Amino acid sequence: MASLSEEVLLVVKKVRQRKQDGTLYLMAERVAWGPEGKDRFTVSHLYADIRCQKISPDGKAKIQLQLVLHTGESTTFHFANESSALKDRDATKELLQQLLPKFKKKANKELEEKNRMLQEDPVLFQLYKDLVVSQVISAEEFWANRLGGINNTDPAVVNNKQEVGISGAFLADIRPQTDGCNGLRYNLTADIIESIFRTYPAVKQKYSENVPHNLTEKEFWTRFFQSHYFHRDRINTGTQDIFSECAKQDEKGLKSLVIQGVKNPLVDLLSLEDKTLDEGYGICTTLPSTSNANKTVKESSNSAIIKRFNHHSAMVLAAGSRKGEAPTDQASETSSTDGNSRDSDFFQPPVKKVKLQEAIEYEDLQRENRPKTVALNLKKSDRYAHGPVPLQSQHYTTSQDIINSVNYIRHEMMNYKPNLTEVRFYTAFLMITKSHNYQKETINRSEILHCIAVFLSCVVLVER
Amino acid sequence: MASEDEISLLVIVVDVNPIWWGQQAQREQEFTLSKCLDAVMVMGNSHMAMSRTNKLAVIASHCQDSHFLYPSKSWKAGDDGADDASSSGDGKYELLSVANNLIAEEIRNVMSKTEVRGNSTDTLLAGTLAKALCLGQEIKSRILVIKAAEDCALQYMNFMNVIFAAQKQNILIDACVLDSNSGLLQQACDITGGLYLKIPQQVALAQYLLWVFLPDSEQRSQLVLPPPAHVDYRAACFCHRNLIEIGYVCSVCLSIFCNFSPICTTCETAFKIQLPQMVKPKKKKLKQTT
Repeated sequence: MASLSEEVLLVVKKVRQRKQDGTLYLMAERVAWGPEGKDRFTVSHLYADIRCQKISPDGKAKIQLQLVLHTGESTTFHFANESSALKDRDATKELLQQLLPKFKKKANKELEEKNRMLQEDPVLFQLYKDLVVSQVISAEEFWANRLGGINNTDPAVVNNKQEVGISGAFLADIRPQTDGCNGLRYNLTADIIESIFRTYPAVKQKYSENVPHNLTEKEFWTRFFQSHYFHRDRINTGTQDIFSECAKQDEKGLKSLVIQGVKNPLVDLLSLEDKTLDEGYGICTTLPSTSNANKTVKESSNSAIIKRFNHHSAMVLAAGSRKGEAPTDQASETSSTDGNSRDSDFFQPPVKKVKLQEAIEYEDLQRENRPKTVALNLKKSDRYAHGPVPLQSQHYTTSQDIINSVNYIRHEMMNYKPNLTEVRFYTAFLMITKSHNYQKETINRSEILHCIAVFLSCVVLVER
Repeated sequence: MASEDEISLLVIVVDVNPIWWGQQAQREQEFTLSKCLDAVMVMGNSHMAMSRTNKLAVIASHCQDSHFLYPSKSWKAGDDGADDASSSGDGKYELLSVANNLIAEEIRNVMSKTEVRGNSTDTLLAGTLAKALCLGQEIKSRILVIKAAEDCALQYMNFMNVIFAAQKQNILIDACVLDSNSGLLQQACDITGGLYLKIPQQVALAQYLLWVFLPDSEQRSQLVLPPPAHVDYRAACFCHRNLIEIGYVCSVCLSIFCNFSPICTTCETAFKIQLPQMVKPKKKKLKQTT
């Protein structure tokens, strides 16, 4: 057996390439061909590099397979085994057909991912342009640091977009339109259907049971809308309906919800109940003596509507939080707030604890968990204070020089009197300024400049 | 014309380093500190004459400290001023003659009183500039620096802080350099938008001051002035103090070196540099199955 470092998937003997006899090997990641009798491969291509394969038409005498690479080059293999050439070629072709897409996807996927990252982040794109396009660093180096998580094909990591929840009003969006003659048209879009299925799993169950075996989709939905389940005032539940079971299930779910109560120990729903002080203050609770049958129709339909709305809201919330949630998440309270009765006792203690904990602790008062840093320790910090003045040998003045200079200047300045008339053209300047009575009006600035310019030129002429 | 009530302040900072000026006086009799101060006074008078609302301040920058030559603390407005003005006799605008006399008196005081101690022989320019900045807080102002002695490397940090503060306050710093080029002042002028000029002939100081530095920033755009000098912004490496263009920067303490060293001498961080990897050609061997 060939002692190769890779796994060999297929070996085809008597394959000619460039008029040389040899053997073709298909391995886990590449295809290679070596001439007869030699140890080494002269031709080797990774599957990722191969763009496509071509085969010679069936009628031709020569049975060939051509591999075209991404770079445009192509390699042709001629299957020369008298008996099994066609079989060999077809076997090779099929194996390649299976393998190539895997590698192609990988390469493409990486490219796609890179493009996506560049498009999403304009700063990154600008950086890429500045560094790679102007050839400061190569593209491989650029992506080496950034593509850390690319190769784990974990779609959950890649799709960090938020899931869209269900609109609470989706049922209201289905507005029936009158059909002309006593009929109603309901327009159902795929979104609405999906919302209905997500919110009411019971309906979804019924749908999967009945369609397409018993009813067509249209019929299903017609029945749905006609059923009292939909319009439900829930008063007459006697009719034989595929949805009557749904109604019962909903009742059950609602009851279990009520039993569970609210997990948060800090929220006290019971305090919202109507309180009675006396007759006339709040609702009298002297009704229990009357039997249920005496309940007015109005009251029962009121309670039915309220029940229905509560149930609908609970289902919408549950459906929104149910999706995308890890099944092993034990601390979540949402897993038990949908109408389907599940064992919620198991989840109760941790949730309560979490809520209590949240109420007690203030994040601001906790000790900060900053990452541990190493202190900066500078040995020769006076280096920073020295400016970009190169250490040249400056004029060395002896202390005697210093003393001499100081005395000289002191002597000079002791008798200093400003002698401005000696300053070139100062007198001329004064003449101009005197000509304006500047105590009364402001001198025009540009005039002054003009005069100065004129006099400068005069001075220059005079000098010459 | 722009609003004439706008106060415009010119602060002239004169470098009166006695050592440099003393040596200069011995070198060249034509241009001494007296002549320099005369030119400064001419400049100050011109500035005040340009507009009634122009204001002037003159600060002398010495070895240990800086002094205000004008306006001075001992100036009492009114009586004394009138007496002096009448003595000048040439009918000058009172304010100008008062200013001149004050400046002269103050500089005499400054130069006679101050003593130079051996180690501090450099002009305290950064401190003086800071004082100048404090003056021009809420009014439109600019600073003109007349520099004589060389740069002092020890004042670098303070100097840069002053420059950036001036930039924030939109105060121009102009520089008129008498002797040797100063990199710090070049940077200051470049950053704040002022003019830097090294005077070719010291005797003509007044001419240069009036021609180049008298117009304020709005008028400069309409004049043809000396082109801006090329500023050398290169950093100096920490090890040799050479100015370098490309070097190695420690990523921890940001100190600059001209050569790579595995340990940064300032913060003692160890660094590794990747050497190019050797690629060995692989040989594929295969044995035929029997």
